[in-house]
Amino acid sequence: MATSLITIGRTGLAASRAALELTAQNIANASNADYTRRRIDQSELVTTGRIDRLQRSTLNGVTIGNVDRLGNEFTQRQVRASTSDLARIEAEIAGLRGAESALEQSGLYESLVDFEAALTLLESDPTDSALRTAAVESARQMAETFQFADFALGNARDLAEAELGAGIDTINGTASALARINLDLVGAREGTAGRAALLDARDAALRDLSQEIGIEVSFDQFGAAEVRLAAPGSPVLVSAASASTMSADITPGGPVEIRIDGAAVSPAGGNVAGRVAALADYTQRQSELDAAAAATIARANTAQAAGAALDGSPGQPLFSGTRASDITMVLSGGAGLAVAPAGSPAGSRDTGNLANLIAAFGADDGPIAGIDRTLLSLSSRIAGLDTTRDGLAMIRESAVATMLAESGVDLDTEAANLVRLQQAFDANSRVIQIATELFDTILGLG
Amino acid sequence: MMTGISNSTSAFFDRSLGQMNDLRASLERFQTQIATGVRIERGSDDPVAAARLRALTRLERRGETEAENAARLGQDLTQASNEIEGVVAILQRVRELAVAAGSDTAGASGREAIALEIEQLGEELFARSNARSITGAPLFAGTAGAPAFVRDAAGNVTYNGNGQNGTVPVAPGTQIERGVTGDQLFEFDVNGTPDSAFNVLSGLALALRGGAADPAEAAQDALAGIDAALDSATRSQTIIGTRLDWVNAIQQDQETRALDVAAQRSQIGDTDVTDAIVRLQQVLTALEASQASFTRISSLSLFNAL
Repeated sequence: MATSLITIGRTGLAASRAALELTAQNIANASNADYTRRRIDQSELVTTGRIDRLQRSTLNGVTIGNVDRLGNEFTQRQVRASTSDLARIEAEIAGLRGAESALEQSGLYESLVDFEAALTLLESDPTDSALRTAAVESARQMAETFQFADFALGNARDLAEAELGAGIDTINGTASALARINLDLVGAREGTAGRAALLDARDAALRDLSQEIGIEVSFDQFGAAEVRLAAPGSPVLVSAASASTMSADITPGGPVEIRIDGAAVSPAGGNVAGRVAALADYTQRQSELDAAAAATIARANTAQAAGAALDGSPGQPLFSGTRASDITMVLSGGAGLAVAPAGSPAGSRDTGNLANLIAAFGADDGPIAGIDRTLLSLSSRIAGLDTTRDGLAMIRESAVATMLAESGVDLDTEAANLVRLQQAFDANSRVIQIATELFDTILGLG
Repeated sequence: MMTGISNSTSAFFDRSLGQMNDLRASLERFQTQIATGVRIERGSDDPVAAARLRALTRLERRGETEAENAARLGQDLTQASNEIEGVVAILQRVRELAVAAGSDTAGASGREAIALEIEQLGEELFARSNARSITGAPLFAGTAGAPAFVRDAAGNVTYNGNGQNGTVPVAPGTQIERGVTGDQLFEFDVNGTPDSAFNVLSGLALALRGGAADPAEAAQDALAGIDAALDSATRSQTIIGTRLDWVNAIQQDQETRALDVAAQRSQIGDTDVTDAIVRLQQVLTALEASQASFTRISSLSLFNAL
């Protein structure tokens, strides 16, 4: 009987020590974002013997059971989904801000307005060489600003493309890491600390993946993850121990195609989806910028062709080029501006042709209005996305909070556990001590 | 899988950090607004206001240009007005001389002296007809280039310009004509026959020098032409005067409009400093309070009691 008491005390000691160790592990990992709080199962150990009809149970203390990870798959999925949504919006905003900086901070709109003003000023004294020179220089300035805006937009696009490439690399790296984790999970025994650590690594890899791209995950009986993109009919990205390769085909200045093992897919979330959307927007802004440059070239040159220069000769083109990247002011000097209508004599102060150019340039379908519309639609889009981002950030925050409420380490709880387990440990030692005393007493009887 | 609810320590730290970051970000935004005086740093801060600011920038730029145009037009018109004043003075002097020559008391030598003076006045008239603006453009050639009037070897003066004045845009939808053309100013009909001030003067001088059988009568006959010339000159002066008045009125309008535009710009795009400072203070207080409460709460750990 006393031997049984010692055994019970020993199992109790072992159980409290294991629980104390786990508490220490929890405390040590309190600030580890990938760690899930563990709990150790304990169960009563009772052995029941039966001889004929006589059944008898012996109390044998406690056994240490499985190491449980506290957390649930549903909240994990919500965190992944909200992470993908937020990452997509943020990546798109970052990309669009690049375009906004290129088009707005380059001062393109201001330089278009300056050119219009210089032309209007020329109307007051069309033969004044100072005003003519000012108008031509203003045209040169405007052409250079177009080129600068084009350059800045191209730079922003290059940056977004490089980021997209880096994102794809991250996905491929994480996917192959996940495939290795899947393989290890199959061999890991249920309820062990090693398996819990593998599951932590698996969930962290899935969270990393969902930051980059929206994913749909299912688990097999071993806990191995099968990953597809969150898009209908998507091929498998990770299945058991094999990971597919993701790639991005970027046409310079054109569309972007994301592929998994060569098959085209349309990413629905994450940084990758945001950058693909931003790149599509760049393509559109580029074409709008080019359209404004082309309209400037066409309208100025058409007006020049319909007029006469200061010396009475037919007007020569003001700009060469066809788009924002190659628009160049080509007039040799202010005298070449065809202010007067064609056929006017030298030195004419007729401003009929100039008035036509100003009207065409400043018209509602002209380049000034075009750039204004581009800037307005771009900044409205960003402002709209900003609002959506605020909402999604809150959703993600609450999803993470819910997840952490289940799986995060609460130091106060762990401190209370420490006290409780220490007392349990003491109590179990006391049981052994009493068993020893009992044994001594029995021996002393003899 | 087991579940349990706990008050996760790292969630508390994350949440506190996030809240303080938000407060810091809005502090920096207010600080930038106050330091730069600009409320809208980039279009996406407020797309509609940014679009209105762009429209106002264009309006402002156009207003500046139109003000410059009006000022230049005013200069040209004033100069033309001065020249026409000179023309009127010349014609009035010629009329006096013609009246004097028309009286029988003027002898041949007197008429010779008068003819000489009229010739001189004719020169001055020709010079004034070719007057130029500060920037060297002819004042009375219409939209044609200089010179406005040319004189051939025989001394006949003809108009070289055209009949179009050309206009200058000085306000949205308002174009003011530049001045008067040379033909309006110097050419007219006398009894249905086209004539010019130059012709009248040179004809009179010639008649007084003995080109006419009766110089006195010729001088009296010339009065009709001189009067017609005076008529068209004073008419032109009135036109120029009216346009100058118009330019003045437009300039006043422009000033009012420029003030309006500047006020609107400021209202839309400038930082309301008082408002921004009060909000800054508010956020500052909130940040300080949350920092203080964070330190207090985070130090409340059971471990401290063990």
